[in-house]
Amino acid sequence: MARTRELVAELRERLGGAAPQPPPAPLPRVPEPPVRVFPKRHEGSRYARETAAHTTALLGIGQVGTRYATDVVLQFQAELAVAHEAVATELPEDWAAKNGLLGLRSRVTHHREFLLRPDLGRRLDDLSLARLKMEAKHGVDVQPILADGLSAVACMQSGLELLASFTRACEARGLTVGTPVCARYARVWLEDEIGQTVKARVAAILLGERPGLGTGDGLSAYLVYEPAVGKTDGDRNMMSNIHARGTPPAVAGDRLAVLARAMVDQKRSGVSLELGHLVAELGDAASRHHRAPQVRERLVEVPT
Amino acid sequence: MILEPLPPRILSVRRIPNADPALLLAYGADPARHRSLGLVTCDQDDPTYVALDEATKFAHVDVVFAKSFYAGAGHASGPLSGEILGVLAAADPDEIDAGLKALVRCLESDACFYGADEAKKTAVFPHVISSLGHYLSAAAGLKPGDSMAYLVAPPMEATIGFDMALKAADVRAAKIFPPPTETNFSAAWLTGSLAACEAAAVAFCEAVVRVAANPKGDVWGG
Repeated sequence: MARTRELVAELRERLGGAAPQPPPAPLPRVPEPPVRVFPKRHEGSRYARETAAHTTALLGIGQVGTRYATDVVLQFQAELAVAHEAVATELPEDWAAKNGLLGLRSRVTHHREFLLRPDLGRRLDDLSLARLKMEAKHGVDVQPILADGLSAVACMQSGLELLASFTRACEARGLTVGTPVCARYARVWLEDEIGQTVKARVAAILLGERPGLGTGDGLSAYLVYEPAVGKTDGDRNMMSNIHARGTPPAVAGDRLAVLARAMVDQKRSGVSLELGHLVAELGDAASRHHRAPQVRERLVEVPT
Repeated sequence: MILEPLPPRILSVRRIPNADPALLLAYGADPARHRSLGLVTCDQDDPTYVALDEATKFAHVDVVFAKSFYAGAGHASGPLSGEILGVLAAADPDEIDAGLKALVRCLESDACFYGADEAKKTAVFPHVISSLGHYLSAAAGLKPGDSMAYLVAPPMEATIGFDMALKAADVRAAKIFPPPTETNFSAAWLTGSLAACEAAAVAFCEAVVRVAANPKGDVWGG
């Protein structure tokens, strides 16, 4: 600002002009913006309040002026951070071996590539393919695959529990279960190549699902009959939200085993699979009874 | 005391929020894009050109009209005429207001002539624009954001000054306006790096002061 005035003042000094220059006119004052304090207004509707007690959805959160209240905004940001962190977490390379699983990996070489190149996450790398051919049981009914997917957090947290309950439930229904494998940097369609390689009748991939607000720990399971590279999503049956606040892993294992059994019996999967009579076979796992009201986990405390 | 600022006097600032299309056309605005006009008169033309350019950096305004009046502020047609009428045009009056604010701020605290002699009879304008707006850049055939030294003085002083400025720093002349101009001053627009423009402006200013102090130079043994 007013650089020319400085330059001219310096020149005047040099040329012997003694007296100081008059100061430039002061800049106009910018008025302070008015401060307005809005009281927090709670949602007045009784319906909204009571509904909010039965769901983790964001209902009846009130407002302050035309905006959300601070605690709501902070909670939202915290939940978003949980989701981001879940996506950013990587499955340690030795995690599979430590937990007694056959460790495989897709053609992806690093995490960023995993996020940007879904196509590479759908194929096994050469080493894994060779290992799978050598070490896995072939010709089984069900090939279970545990994988990181988009949330390694979920995989490490409840993956083993789901895998165990699924394996137990399958064996209880007379299905032979293949060598449990664990795939890194895996996308859903990786099950096609794994299942095809071990000649399984059903491939089941259990993997961390795309995190939502505050749920970085959700698992999904995708089952396909006669897995082969080239199968589409129309050939698959899936189950999502396998976590404590959704379907608990123990119950999910039973339901998935019923699904696998149905695939083997009907010799198909996906859109054409007949699901109508499966409820009867589920027994306890069908449980559609009342669940206690769900409460969103508070990640941020704001003094009121 | 030499090189004291001669502060420009803003003689009038007015706004036409919704100008008649015929008027818009007459003053070089485009009725399809412009609706509002902001007008300013001032008793110094070159600081006003700089301030109009400054306005284009702070608001979505176009300088559609800016012309100096013949023979300068000493021969003005009325008390508000001064030496120049500048017209900003914009799509709405708020943009005009923002532009005029920047313009007034520039005239009040930045761009001005300086007295090159004790009596303040010789005026010199050695102004450095660090980053051009889209008005002067287009007029000078430069790019917005370029640096430019905007140099003005009476014909004799200016001519010597331009030569000194061009030789003092790594600048080139974007445009030189030899006399007579409307106000009978001479002007030059030199461009180069910011540091070069500053050095050129200082050399120009010094030359103007020296010529003013010694008009007949060595030739007449002054």
